[in-house]
Amino acid sequence: MAVNKRDGRAGQDVLRRVGEASVLILISLADGPKHGYALIQDIKELAGVELGPGTLYGALDRLERLGLIEPLPADDRRHPYRITAPGAAALRGHLDSLERVSAAGRLRLRLGGI
Amino acid sequence: MDGPRTTRLVEAVLRCYPARWRRRHGDEAAELAALLIRDGTPVSSIAWSYLAGAARERLTPRPGRRLSTAACALLLAACSLGIAAGLLPSTVPARAASTSPAPGRAHCRSGPVPGVIPALGHPRVIIWEAWHGRSC
Repeated sequence: MAVNKRDGRAGQDVLRRVGEASVLILISLADGPKHGYALIQDIKELAGVELGPGTLYGALDRLERLGLIEPLPADDRRHPYRITAPGAAALRGHLDSLERVSAAGRLRLRLGGI
Repeated sequence: MDGPRTTRLVEAVLRCYPARWRRRHGDEAAELAALLIRDGTPVSSIAWSYLAGAARERLTPRPGRRLSTAACALLLAACSLGIAAGLLPSTVPARAASTSPAPGRAHCRSGPVPGVIPALGHPRVIIWEAWHGRSC
């Protein structure tokens, strides 16, 4: 599995270093395969972030190299992508980690009385 | 910007990507650009995004590209040394080859040069002497 080869151990938050665009793409693909244009539209709606097409293809290539997504057979000129099982596990782990940090942040804000 | 000019601009920017990338994503990337332009995204921002992506694509090391990159780096280093060894002595006056300090230039010191790798041997002397001759 590409994730383990690269990071040496399973369970590590591999998405910490891939950038926001890659995480948003994984989140967008979590409910089903999409091609480039659909991804850009979905991410704009989901997070209010307009991904540039160059950024999109860079992130797609990186996620594919990591084994977190895979291309499906081309539909006309469009290549849909789908999230893989390691991709879903990595996304789940990353979201859990964000949730823990978020909870800690909220707790500290409360304790600080801010 | 009118349609054909926009298309030409996008095509030109997409040509900045490596051929391997264009074979894989080229058609889809052109279609995606057309759809985004239709939606009102400025052509300049699309072109810039593709240009930055092309630069990243060319600069990011790939596993299969490592060997050729290393080979290129070695070739470049070898060429630099060859050029330095071959050209510099001919462009420096003969007195620069002397190891004794030039009269009236007491600030010039002989001996090892800080930061120069001794293992380079002969080219080190040539490079040092050339520099020595020019600056002192």
